[in-house]
Amino acid sequence: MKRIGLLLILALLVAVPVFAQEAAEIELFFHSGRGEERDALNAILVNFNESQSDYVAVAKELPEGSYTDAVNAAALANELPCLLDFDGPTLYSFAYRGYMLPIDDYVSDELKADILPSIIEQGTYNGKLYSLGVFESGLAIWGNKQYLETAGVRIPTIDTPWTLDEFNAALEALSQVEGVEYALDLKMNYGQGEWFTYGFSPILQSFGGDLINREDYQSAEGVLNGDAGVAFGEWFQSLFTNGYTTATPPDDNLFIDGKAALSFVGHWEFNRYSAALGDNLVLIPMPDFGSGPATGNGSWNWGITTQCANPDGAWALLEFMLQPDQMTIMTKAAGTIPSRISVLEQDARFAEGGPMNVYFQQLFGGVAVPRPQTPAYPVITAEFAKAIDEIAKGGDVQAALDAAVDAIERNIEENNGYQAQ
Amino acid sequence: MAVHVKVRSGGLQRRERYLAYGMMAPAAVLLILFLIVPFVMAFGLSFTNQSLVPPLETVVDETTGETVQRQKPPDFIGTDNYQNLLRIHIFTMEPLVDEQTGEVLRDEAGGIQYERARTYLRPERLEELFQIDLFGTRYLVGAGDASFYRSLLNIFEFVIIVVPVQTSLALFLAMLVNQKIRGANVFRTIYFSPVVTAMAIVAVLWFFLYNPSDGLINNFLKVFNIGPFQWLEHPASALIAIIIMSIWQGVGFQMVIYLAGLQEISEDLYEAASIDGANRIQQFRFVTLPSLRNTTLFVAISTTILAFKLFVQVDVMTFGRGGPENATITPILHMVNEGFRSAQRVGYAAAIAVVFVLIVLAISLIQRRVLSYGDH
Repeated sequence: MKRIGLLLILALLVAVPVFAQEAAEIELFFHSGRGEERDALNAILVNFNESQSDYVAVAKELPEGSYTDAVNAAALANELPCLLDFDGPTLYSFAYRGYMLPIDDYVSDELKADILPSIIEQGTYNGKLYSLGVFESGLAIWGNKQYLETAGVRIPTIDTPWTLDEFNAALEALSQVEGVEYALDLKMNYGQGEWFTYGFSPILQSFGGDLINREDYQSAEGVLNGDAGVAFGEWFQSLFTNGYTTATPPDDNLFIDGKAALSFVGHWEFNRYSAALGDNLVLIPMPDFGSGPATGNGSWNWGITTQCANPDGAWALLEFMLQPDQMTIMTKAAGTIPSRISVLEQDARFAEGGPMNVYFQQLFGGVAVPRPQTPAYPVITAEFAKAIDEIAKGGDVQAALDAAVDAIERNIEENNGYQAQ
Repeated sequence: MAVHVKVRSGGLQRRERYLAYGMMAPAAVLLILFLIVPFVMAFGLSFTNQSLVPPLETVVDETTGETVQRQKPPDFIGTDNYQNLLRIHIFTMEPLVDEQTGEVLRDEAGGIQYERARTYLRPERLEELFQIDLFGTRYLVGAGDASFYRSLLNIFEFVIIVVPVQTSLALFLAMLVNQKIRGANVFRTIYFSPVVTAMAIVAVLWFFLYNPSDGLINNFLKVFNIGPFQWLEHPASALIAIIIMSIWQGVGFQMVIYLAGLQEISEDLYEAASIDGANRIQQFRFVTLPSLRNTTLFVAISTTILAFKLFVQVDVMTFGRGGPENATITPILHMVNEGFRSAQRVGYAAAIAVVFVLIVLAISLIQRRVLSYGDH
């Protein structure tokens, strides 16, 4: 027994220096949304761990639906990871509550100049840069070319988008085509969540409304529930009452199965849709609903938390993810827009004649409107999504938007206007 | 001698008392730690504007004179949370009058037109509860938190329907599977299986079953030319849909308790009853039901308590919002939404918890009183 004990002590003495030299763990939280994104991230992490021996990246996947709640709970328990991914506009709430570390000192001017301006803008709060994303998002309408031609509907370009009347007529014509159950798929099956705000607030903006008054981010009265907001709501509701779309799709495949002629969704369906429809797939720019076309932008991005013991290691990992080779792994797998201009310019999918050129043009043509940059965003998006849900289910438009305005303004007031410290 | 015995029995009593305390200790510690302490903390929090994760503020450290960042401590705000939660205000609505003719404006159906309720409510930071016409005057009732009152209404409706229906259905099922026929065990397992399945999974399954266009339930009803119903999408049917699936999920548990109760009843009682000429219905009425009295009490009380806690199925099936139009919101869901989701108002959520606990406590006390009164 004694001898074994001695051996154990010896073994420990030998082992301790080895432990001390072992690589530092860099923990990261990642939203487990779509499988391709998850696989791509895991591939990048493997590459990172193989490329150097100072750090080991360890990813924790959390369900997307309650991701922000989980991050808040982790922050409360002092258990935030080193590197955190989050949907763009939640940054301002995180930074306001002190979760995030500014990364200005890490980012070289060279790198900063190569990142899309919209990504830099998204990651900036109160004059400091907090986060960077590997990809930007694109939002427009995927169309089934065959159905469009049968219905005799003009396929618009970025310079001559559909007007509201033209879009309505197209929906009516498409719903008459044989085989079409719904002219438009709005991905209502994603459920009441960020999609409703990301997807539908650009339409509200194109009608002339907005989620909040962007002059001071203090009020929404008259902006969200004014005439433009109500016109948006009434039109949106008519999509359901006219039978052009459904509030309760039985699955995620209406467009792929040929039951829907148009699919209003982001870039993330590109790989699946192009595999299913091939040359029959066409990307249609956002229509002009009256005040010029608008589309969403912003995407999931990465920041370093204040609870990170090793921010240098976290930055090493983030910098690695932003390397062109690694970025391409993600953007190819997820069908997304690379966030580095040098990578984007070499991506044939977004070049002229490419299948996703519309996204490129929308992004650089000034059509994309960022989601409101205020710590009140989590409340704004929750209340707007609730209003969208009620409108889609046939509720009173004015009442739904009024309720959202009151809840948003009350929250801002209770937090003393979310004045940055 | 007598003194000696007294001392001995006193020692015994003391030892027994210690033993009793010792055996009580684990439960008492757990209850104090996870029930009493959190409630006292919640009570304290309910008088503050505590946020889930407070924002940072920059302050000057008094000893060193350096500026440091720290999380902003909550302010004591007295009973503001309770006032906002419970506040109710009744307005008398003035009819709209044509400025030129001085006549009251009427809509196409001849009804008097009023100003929008919001013009009354918004300055007072109130939400509309309902409008009512009484003796030719339109009254508008506004509340500081209409969702809270709606959630109370919903949970009472839920409890009042679920407790009697689930209890009787459980007894009915227990009697079915209590028959000595082959395969009864299979049915027992089938009826019990939803109970051992996680509620979140059951809720997701039922979400698909309730799909208006392609769900199994509407497809089944179509065979009889009924429907289609917008189960979870229409305010009138959403709570009913939640009630049906909750009963389906929970009834197996009460069935098993009833089954145990049924098997306790002596065969002699039925034999005696049949010799006296009682038919099956009379046997049920005068033998089965009275013998199950204690079982029924237990089932009814436990179902009531479980029903008040309604949360998971609504959270999953309405994406955490209790919609449409608050038709399925419950006090617990409202509390979670206010405290732990986007709004992060922990102090306010604590006030909701305190008020709800007091309401449930009052109901439990009344229930106990009524039921133990029947014992005599």
